Amino acid sequence: MTPDSVFHNFAVTNTSHSLEAYRARGGYQALEKALTKLAPSDVEREVTQSGLRGRGGANFPVGAKWSFVNKKSPVVYLCCNADEGEPGTFKDRWILEHTPHQLIEGMLIAAYALNVRHAFIYIRGEFDLPLRRLQSALEEARTARLVGEQILGSSFACDILVHRGAGAYVCGEESSLLNSLEGRKGYPRNKPPFPAVRGLYQAPTVVNNVETLSDVPWIIARGGAAYAALGNKANPGTRLFGISGHVKKPAVYERPTGYPLKRIIFEDAGGILGDKPLKAVIPGGSSTPVLTAQEIENITLDAASLQQAGSMLGSGGIIVIAEGTCMVRVLHVLTRFYSHESCGQCTPCREGTAWMNDIVERIGSGKGVRADLENLQNIPAGISGNTLCALGDAASMPVVSFLKKFRPEFEYFIEHGRSLHEGRLEA
Amino acid sequence: MKITINNRSIEAREGERLIDAALRHGIEIPHFCYHPHLPVSGNCRMCLVKVENVPKLMPACNMHVAANLKVDTAAPEVARARQMVMQFLMLNHPVDCGICDKAGECRLQDYEFEYGVPRSRSLEPKHRKRKLHVLSERIQLDNERCILCSRCVRFTREVSKSNMLGIVERGGHAMVDRATASVDDAYSDNVIGLCPTGALLSTDFLYKSRSWFLEPVRSVCTGCARGCSVEVWRRKKEWQMRLLGEERNRSAYRITALPNPEVNGPWICNKGFDLHKVMARERVSSAQVGGVPASVDQAVDRAKNMLAEANSPAAMVSAQASNEELDAFAALAKALGPRLRIYVREDCHAAPGEVVEDNLLIKADKNPNSFGVRERFGSTRLDAAAASQHDLILIWGEWQESVDLGAATVIHLTAFAAAGPQKPGVLIPLSTLFERSGTFSNFEGKHNRFDAVFAKPEFAQHATDLFARLAP
Repeated sequence: MTPDSVFHNFAVTNTSHSLEAYRARGGYQALEKALTKLAPSDVEREVTQSGLRGRGGANFPVGAKWSFVNKKSPVVYLCCNADEGEPGTFKDRWILEHTPHQLIEGMLIAAYALNVRHAFIYIRGEFDLPLRRLQSALEEARTARLVGEQILGSSFACDILVHRGAGAYVCGEESSLLNSLEGRKGYPRNKPPFPAVRGLYQAPTVVNNVETLSDVPWIIARGGAAYAALGNKANPGTRLFGISGHVKKPAVYERPTGYPLKRIIFEDAGGILGDKPLKAVIPGGSSTPVLTAQEIENITLDAASLQQAGSMLGSGGIIVIAEGTCMVRVLHVLTRFYSHESCGQCTPCREGTAWMNDIVERIGSGKGVRADLENLQNIPAGISGNTLCALGDAASMPVVSFLKKFRPEFEYFIEHGRSLHEGRLEA
Repeated sequence: MKITINNRSIEAREGERLIDAALRHGIEIPHFCYHPHLPVSGNCRMCLVKVENVPKLMPACNMHVAANLKVDTAAPEVARARQMVMQFLMLNHPVDCGICDKAGECRLQDYEFEYGVPRSRSLEPKHRKRKLHVLSERIQLDNERCILCSRCVRFTREVSKSNMLGIVERGGHAMVDRATASVDDAYSDNVIGLCPTGALLSTDFLYKSRSWFLEPVRSVCTGCARGCSVEVWRRKKEWQMRLLGEERNRSAYRITALPNPEVNGPWICNKGFDLHKVMARERVSSAQVGGVPASVDQAVDRAKNMLAEANSPAAMVSAQASNEELDAFAALAKALGPRLRIYVREDCHAAPGEVVEDNLLIKADKNPNSFGVRERFGSTRLDAAAASQHDLILIWGEWQESVDLGAATVIHLTAFAAAGPQKPGVLIPLSTLFERSGTFSNFEGKHNRFDAVFAKPEFAQHATDLFARLAP
């Protein structure tokens, strides 16, 4: 492990995901340290000190989440949320494919801190290679007695079970993930009670993202203070940013928080495809409000900076959109996704997402009318904040921000019945 | 504890839901999916209210009261949220109230007038779904009218436990459908009343009447010893028209559950929903003496003489009779003296295939007033040996037993033309449950009142009057 990098600290080869390779780069030493030198409360304190925040999108302090759980409860569960489904986000996939043992180690340390005997990994159903890599890693770990009973010769025992999702985006929401894990329909639950109080099988449960848990070994190995010193003060650490869209080198990049957004696009990712001008950036997964090229000038990749700009850091999936892209059609892709993925449980999201998609689709087919834009402003206002889970908000934010920032394109489409930007981009 | 709703301080109970506390004090928070006897789902989002120091609107159904809670149900943002929820619910609702049985008693309709937008903002064609689908022999399902509140699903899971219904598909395609191959659920019809729209309708009542032509009368189900409170729906007086004919003006259109926490809670079983069919069976429409039609006066005189002259008369008391009728019979028995032996019986028994007993409501005794009968007349039953000692047997109620009555002469008092024990010497038609009022004592001895739905026809007699006339 290199001092300032949690993930990208080894060369990816055909075998770099194996237990042998992971151990060779210092793997499972943090677990040994935790089991031999630290009490569970010390582990939690280190994580709290590190200032680590949830990497799934909500950016919630991990130490606080862990502190809500009653560790004296007869059963406490830990669930790793590997249902990475946000369009534009593919960082967890990288971890599962290339360093699955890091997740397993992180989960074991978290299980030790939280008094967990059984931990679960809820993995996205569409993941193939990540699942195979994860399963073989778990097999290796079991054989090496890293998972199961008497881990590393101690009295600590923890089993990790893998559960495959069945293709619902909403199961990435923690309470519907728990329902799905229990074998129920993937409907989000009413909150309160929160999972920390009553989660999986009604027991206190912590649900953490893959990247979040994979940060834990580094924190334990080097101390929470060392992690807190990385990146942005208020929002420390490094993050995996998945850049996709119209860039020359789309990939997962690990950068400290507070890294300039422009730099990651134009230097690390090699700039815009075909050297076209930048039009817009969706900074943290498809649900985060879109930013225009002017707005990203001084933005750094941390929660405060993006919040100030009216967007969110989200899950770190940066979608880059080049000049010449039709924003009406981009929005249609998003509204179609959210109306398809709405679970249909609560009224505003079930009806509202489908309605918004109908309208955007009609505009995109050249049959829009002026009243559509008014509706597209009213519908999200009726959805966001009024739904059972956050999917309603996630579906509303793109519509609101696209309309606010690219309204002339929508007006043009409605007036002329065709897009302001015709033709293929790559040309 | 004290909580404040709309600047009004009210007393709430520990652990109570906000929506219930408000309703107890006369503040109705509109809701579709919430039902006090079902688990909370929180999906309709109609009961959103503003809570002090909470940034988002909160559903009142999933909120427990806490000391000093301050709630505003009339804030502009609450009204806006309700309006949007109504707009969302009506988005693909067909608004076919004109041909919907639920119209007039439909929660969606009521709320649309109270909280909805004056005109739909939608320009899209409505999404179509399956209409008037036969869910079971008893229930029609219209998925277009459904607002997916999941009340019916939760009922079949948590109350009737048949798991008959579920929601299939996702998002805008979601719809209620059968979740099991069998539709065996003795309580299934409750979902019709639970449904806040016209998505689940009774096959029996389908297109029989607009709801506003009808009015309910309090009654009691005679299907078993539970004695559930029900409502019998008859045509309102002002809507009875000569052109409809006697039958439609005078029929019981449907039966619904009357919530009664003491006896049946909010539910009744399907047998209760069919009570009007039981009462619509073929009647005994004329008195008979010696198998020949006779006037009631002739029949009563004959029966009176027979009772007076018999050496060893016996009477079999009906467990379908009300307490008042039993008292009238007790007075007659007293007047006839110890000569008269009284036997009790169960008029009705479980039909083949019927649920005999369960843990929810249904009791094994299929008569409503066995308790009242036992209280007054003990529990001696008539068998063939006992029957042979009597020269006259008065049978009160329908005769379904197979006891050999020997050579005894029979006086039969009954409302329905069921096969008699043998040719009765005297047959006198009685009034039915819907034509009289009184009380039953259910299996726990709880009294439950029923009112007369219709006036009795000329040919039928109330048992109370009849017994007074039979006394010597």
